[in-house]
Amino acid sequence: MRFPLSLWDLCLWLAAMAIILLITSELLSSSSEYLGNIVIEKGRLRAAALALGTGFMVTVALRAWQFI
Amino acid sequence: MNELYAEEGVSDVKTLKDTSEYLRTESMTPNRLQKSRRDEGTSMVLTTTQYLVETINQLQTELDFAKRELEKKRGITSNKVAVFFLIPGTASLILSVILNQQVLSFIGLGLTFWGALFLFVKPVKYVKGSLLDSTAIASYSTLDRMLTDLDYKGRGYYIPPYPKEAFLPQYLRGLKDMVVFLSADGGPEMPSIDEIAKKRFILENPKGICVSPPGMGLLSQFEREIGRTIDGIELSELCQTLPQVVLMNLQLAKELEIKPESKGVRLTVVNSVYKKLYWKEQELQSVLLLGCPLVSAVACALAKSTGKILTISESNVSAKGEKISVFYLFVED
Repeated sequence: MRFPLSLWDLCLWLAAMAIILLITSELLSSSSEYLGNIVIEKGRLRAAALALGTGFMVTVALRAWQFI
Repeated sequence: MNELYAEEGVSDVKTLKDTSEYLRTESMTPNRLQKSRRDEGTSMVLTTTQYLVETINQLQTELDFAKRELEKKRGITSNKVAVFFLIPGTASLILSVILNQQVLSFIGLGLTFWGALFLFVKPVKYVKGSLLDSTAIASYSTLDRMLTDLDYKGRGYYIPPYPKEAFLPQYLRGLKDMVVFLSADGGPEMPSIDEIAKKRFILENPKGICVSPPGMGLLSQFEREIGRTIDGIELSELCQTLPQVVLMNLQLAKELEIKPESKGVRLTVVNSVYKKLYWKEQELQSVLLLGCPLVSAVACALAKSTGKILTISESNVSAKGEKISVFYLFVED
């Protein structure tokens, strides 16, 4: 029994999620006419998006380290 | 005749409306009538009171039940959505490890992540903007009554407080509070430090009253958002920072501009959440004198930042209060 995802798979997953969340967070924080009225913790959403983005960058760095 | 009236009363007590009407007539009847039917009436009143109490209890139970039903129908909370995502997500992850399935693990990861995210990014508890002015109206109305009663026709002067960290003797601690001096005749005289320090309400020399500004609470909120006290902030910096806090962080207006001019500062607010306070139907004079909580908070911030006494010398409000233009005049140079 082992986890079926490799680092590369996780990297891909993190990238996809980070992009979705970063775009959502950016759209929400712009306080536009419609999107600005969504009542969620926008700060926390931004933090989660940034955390995923950082996670993705870490996996990229690990891949780069493996190549070097 | 009296007995007949009482008997009629008894026969009529069938519904809640009848009961209340009966009780009303009971309380309004002259003493002699009450005396004559005391014996019969006592037991009947007890019965109707009991009936009323039972009805109230029943209605209360129905109200509680309706409230619970409304809560249920108000929709699925984010917690429920999160649990709905988390359970299959975790199950999928476990299964993926057991069966060594990549697709299952992707599904599990996604579901678990979104479930956790729903828990983390909960909806913020907001209240309707209309509640803000509704709650503020009472204090302005009270102030109006006081000013009318005292026949004061002066101006409101925002007196800057001493910085919180400044050391002051015990008897001068009152100077650390932001106050507005409402003068009786609008003269240039300001109350003495001694009088402000004593936290007096009615002042005799010069005549007027000292009240807490309506925007004092909002000012604390501004400082919390900025992350420091406004004491040390330059006026130019404040004119840039405050609009950001009001528009982006607190969303109290649609547009806000603070522009320093030669003898004061001009504030322009578009679509403020407190615009209803300026409506003519409200007939609030103190709003023009002190400004709505937002205008007052900006006045407090300006007074605190510059350390100068200021007054609202000009208030232009468009129809329905959509656009509010205020000029803060610095009394001291």
